Amino acid sequence: MIAHSSKKVKEGKIMTVEVDFDDFIKNVKISGDFFLHPEEVLNDMEKSFVGLKKDVSFDTLVIKIHNIVESHDAQMIGISPESMALVIKEALK
Amino acid sequence: MKWRVIGLETHDAYLNMAFDEAISESLREGASLPTIRFYNWEPSAVSIGYFQGIRDEVNLEVCRELGVDCIRRWTGGGAVYHDFDGEITYSVIAPANIFPKNIIESYGLICGWLVRGLVSLGIEAEFRPVNDILVKGKKISGSAQTRRRGILLQHGTLLYGLDLKTMFNVLNVSRQKITDKMIKSAHERVTCIQMHCGAGKKEVYEALVNAFTDGKDCGAGIWSRDELIRAKELAEEKYKSSGWTYLR
Repeated sequence: MIAHSSKKVKEGKIMTVEVDFDDFIKNVKISGDFFLHPEEVLNDMEKSFVGLKKDVSFDTLVIKIHNIVESHDAQMIGISPESMALVIKEALK
Repeated sequence: MKWRVIGLETHDAYLNMAFDEAISESLREGASLPTIRFYNWEPSAVSIGYFQGIRDEVNLEVCRELGVDCIRRWTGGGAVYHDFDGEITYSVIAPANIFPKNIIESYGLICGWLVRGLVSLGIEAEFRPVNDILVKGKKISGSAQTRRRGILLQHGTLLYGLDLKTMFNVLNVSRQKITDKMIKSAHERVTCIQMHCGAGKKEVYEALVNAFTDGKDCGAGIWSRDELIRAKELAEEKYKSSGWTYLR
């Protein structure tokens, strides 16, 4: 099934998540008016969620996002790993 | 550091965005100088942020009816309606290492030039992080930045006039954003030069040029032949392509 969630996160920007999943996540598409430098890192984040269980924990998602941010020396502006994980969890409900 | 200034030009959306990318490439190769440019959009256009979904943000049918172009930017941020008469857009393309590494600080630096231009017109403006400039609490300018392979590109708009009717017809304005700020009317959150001073668009442009170039070693410049060729190529092959437009 494909589910959506959209939220104006506490850091100020809007994030929309579309998740295709059954028991496991098959695809994730994230969009919004946020900034992420370098921009291509978002593709890595989306890919990193594929294969996770649909009841993946908030903490696991945060750690995955954090790791990608750190490994690319990326900067998120108007969003955070926590808010991204929150919107993904909302979509998976 | 020597800078090149490209004076106010008018292009369509695709060429406007392609020029920014072409300069970034050329600067990286050492073939161009750091550049400040000012431009209009004709036809009027909607640009969306790199991460946005065009169908989420833009009423494509209305755009088609009105002859308004739609384009995905190379930079993040939100959707913007670029009215031909109602705004002046700037771009700054330079080595990233001459700006603060902290992105918000670098927004503050470049937006500070724009604030100085407004102050010189008698308009009290302030930078509001992340990327806005406000006058009396209302947004008059928004900017977006990207840094790719050592080059910083920041572009942004300054609202000269307001055509809210068209703006809200072409944009799918987020109800979340409006509800969250407890704002009932767009007039309560957006403003423009014409509401604060009687300066003509030319005078505003000149104030911006003075403020952006103040203290820099600047010279009026033109496009190189290679930049023109590359910009036209990027406009046709990238920015007009449905693959790019519908990326998200």
